Amino acid sequence: MQHSQKRVARPKLDVERVELPNGLVLLLSENHSIPSVSINAIVRAGSRFEPDENAGLASLVGALLDAGTTTRTSQQIAETIEASGGRLGTFGDYQSSGVVVTLLSKDIALGVDVASDLLMNATFPNEKVHQHSERRVAQIKARLDVPRTQASDAFNEIVFKGSPQHRPPIGYEETVKGLTRADVEAFDHRYYVPDNTMLAIVGDIDKSEVKSKVEATFGKWERAKTFEKFEPPQVPRPHRQTVPIERFIAASKEQVNIIIGHLGIERKNPDYYALLVMDTILGSSPGFTSRIPRILRDEQGLAYTTFSNITSSAGLDPGRFIAYIGTAPENLGRAIAGLRAEIARIVEEPVSEEELETATSYLTGSFVLRFQKNSQVAEFLLEAEVYGLGFDYLEKYPDLIRAITIEDVSRVARAHIDPRNLTTVVVGPIDELGTIGSSTDFSL
Amino acid sequence: MTTLIATADAEARTDIQTKSFITRSVHKAVLANGLTVLTRESREKAVVATMIWYRAGSRNEEFGQTGKSHFLEHMLFKGTDRYKKGEIDLITHLNGGANNAFTWLDFTAYYFTFASDRWGAALEIEASRMRGTMFDEEEFASEKQVVQEELRIGLDGPWEVLENEVWATAFRQHPYHWPTVGWLEDLEAASAADMKAYYDRWYHPRNATVVLVGDFDTGEALQKIENLFGSIAPGPEAAPINIVEPPQRGEKRLLVRKETPVERLLIAYHAPEVAHPDSYPLKVAETLLSTGKSSRLYQRLVERDQAVTNADASYHDHIDPALFYFQAELKPGFNIGDVERATYDEIDRLKRGDISAAEIEKAKRQIEASLVLGSEEPLQQAILLGQYETIAFGERVPVESRGYLYLDTLLERIAAVTIDDVAAAAQKYFTQDNRTVGYLINEGKLDERENGRAT
Repeated sequence: MQHSQKRVARPKLDVERVELPNGLVLLLSENHSIPSVSINAIVRAGSRFEPDENAGLASLVGALLDAGTTTRTSQQIAETIEASGGRLGTFGDYQSSGVVVTLLSKDIALGVDVASDLLMNATFPNEKVHQHSERRVAQIKARLDVPRTQASDAFNEIVFKGSPQHRPPIGYEETVKGLTRADVEAFDHRYYVPDNTMLAIVGDIDKSEVKSKVEATFGKWERAKTFEKFEPPQVPRPHRQTVPIERFIAASKEQVNIIIGHLGIERKNPDYYALLVMDTILGSSPGFTSRIPRILRDEQGLAYTTFSNITSSAGLDPGRFIAYIGTAPENLGRAIAGLRAEIARIVEEPVSEEELETATSYLTGSFVLRFQKNSQVAEFLLEAEVYGLGFDYLEKYPDLIRAITIEDVSRVARAHIDPRNLTTVVVGPIDELGTIGSSTDFSL
Repeated sequence: MTTLIATADAEARTDIQTKSFITRSVHKAVLANGLTVLTRESREKAVVATMIWYRAGSRNEEFGQTGKSHFLEHMLFKGTDRYKKGEIDLITHLNGGANNAFTWLDFTAYYFTFASDRWGAALEIEASRMRGTMFDEEEFASEKQVVQEELRIGLDGPWEVLENEVWATAFRQHPYHWPTVGWLEDLEAASAADMKAYYDRWYHPRNATVVLVGDFDTGEALQKIENLFGSIAPGPEAAPINIVEPPQRGEKRLLVRKETPVERLLIAYHAPEVAHPDSYPLKVAETLLSTGKSSRLYQRLVERDQAVTNADASYHDHIDPALFYFQAELKPGFNIGDVERATYDEIDRLKRGDISAAEIEKAKRQIEASLVLGSEEPLQQAILLGQYETIAFGERVPVESRGYLYLDTLLERIAAVTIDDVAAAAQKYFTQDNRTVGYLINEGKLDERENGRAT
């Protein structure tokens, strides 16, 4: 057996942060190992800012960013990037929306031009709005083909009740059908403003050249019409459940997909690091070293996929604590009991010295692996900005993790995990009462 | 102790201009026992990716014994005579690394990524499990359940189900007939003894390639590999697999019924193997058909017809001729036969050579750029090097394209592709007699779908 070494490879990033006069934040980092560059722009708005009746709006706006601008048609936008061999993606998610461009570094100017054009000048042509909503309705239907997604959607509806996070960001069939071009434009005008936008450019670049280029393009972007600073709206907060809830959904499938859990934490919660260690011990380490995969998969052979975590969904709003397993229907009872037992044990019993040591070694040692790609570095820079982590976070992180004790893990498990009040959702060949093999009606 | 034998590759390559940045600074060596070693020292990131590739995938299996390569991949994490069960993952974990493995038609590959101050454990594990893997009956039984669950996930995925049926229909005698995960019935019947026999047949130095990419010293790494692997016996000479799929004599069609809210279409054509002269124009065709929103299938089926949510063409390099296929996921209310016919319209345009100079140039640039954009991580580079070293071999592959050198000639050959080449390849392979067409439709809805049949 080999033990970890104490020396930790700490990734070093040479980060420059610039705030343009219009409020746009620019983050730059150079890496010349490969002649490529990643441009990630995010607008701090997503489905968390949309009302229930407009569910799917932020996502639709994100998808429509490349559907035409004042100077380019959708086809010209695609041609422009793709002719260079680059890739362009646009998105609207729960917490943020934006544009991601990856291209060869010689094409950096083109990438900045297109990204700025999409964010500043999108026109949302009427027929494209219609076309995209129709496509979304089909995609919403197709979610029923993926039992894990179906289980996750049902779980979110229960656990995030009262908060916009209870809906899938893509929305529902009825709400998407009701969205109009006016809704799209209003969302764009309100949230796609420079002082609500952050841009990270990482890779084989010259920082000062890129800075000038960004100032020349994004600098023309005017703040909201009132010229006031952008103020985000309040988002309703969900409440943690105080009773156990069970929901069984019949689907004609080979496996039962099970999600157990409840409301989670915000990223800025000071217990985040102790919970990261807890996740690593309970159900989130790669391979099968953490408890849930080791016991339910490796020892009992119940599943190909099983895990748990609370930190991975922590954001501006509280995420969720979940334990997941996909298993054969005859194992349903054993699988649920197994997950519940491990959830209870992490709260009731202290973890071992060895488990703590293994988890902290893993977390500190693997940190460097999260910065291998330009896009990963860009995402980190944006995350550091959104959550105020500081760019010295890379140097601080190993110490934050190494400071965690067995008592910390017990304390945060007791504070944030409640084994008595869990929501359990099961999707598969069962009936509404959870009886296996009795369901005959799988109508959609 | 055996000695390192450096091949003449470095010298032989001086007259070939190195086109791919990935192959630049690659060092190739072959140990006396036949183990191939590729190293690419690259100091920019404090990371080392280590891989081992075995030329053993579902192609190497036999009827009634399918899924063994994949199951064996699982068993290689269950302990060796040196590492007890769970220890491989624990060492990886303690050292803050990542590990995993994958199996496909032609190969099985294992990988580790570690920070560069702690990568040595990876090679020690690979050397131990090359010949020292344990096949404990109890472990085997429990892992069999895990593999069955993995297979069930596939049975719940609509695309997987349709793809399995299309491959099984298109190939009647070649092992590409069955899925890599195997057939459930074969899996249920598999024994630990079968697995051990299969392992003893294929897991040896002469059937393997070790690949290292990242922040290490080449000389030290080679010495370490020699120390760890040099004393392992070369193993039996692998008997060549000469199963040839006969030409298809007419279109094959199939229907899969499954509960689903959206219908799916898959059209597959038999297409040539890696490094075949026609494979390059087909790669260009694949790219101009389906890479990005300016591509033909997107413009036609998503933008113009608005009949699908997603349309794709895919063609991958394999040791033996495999399939070039077209996939589409329909929007409700659209006719699957219409989408099939629209796909043929796009294929006909290729056959007529209706391609602009700008379009073919774009496709070539996309292929070249994707090689760079998809290779940022040392592991991604190791995968490319190891994959081609494993599949681009034998008499069928021109000497200058064999092994990882394929990546150099790839870009030269793609650059040489003309509009006429694409048209000629489309005419040769995209014929009615050479295709297998699969529909996935909602269970119980067959009667309502009669008008959905393509003519």
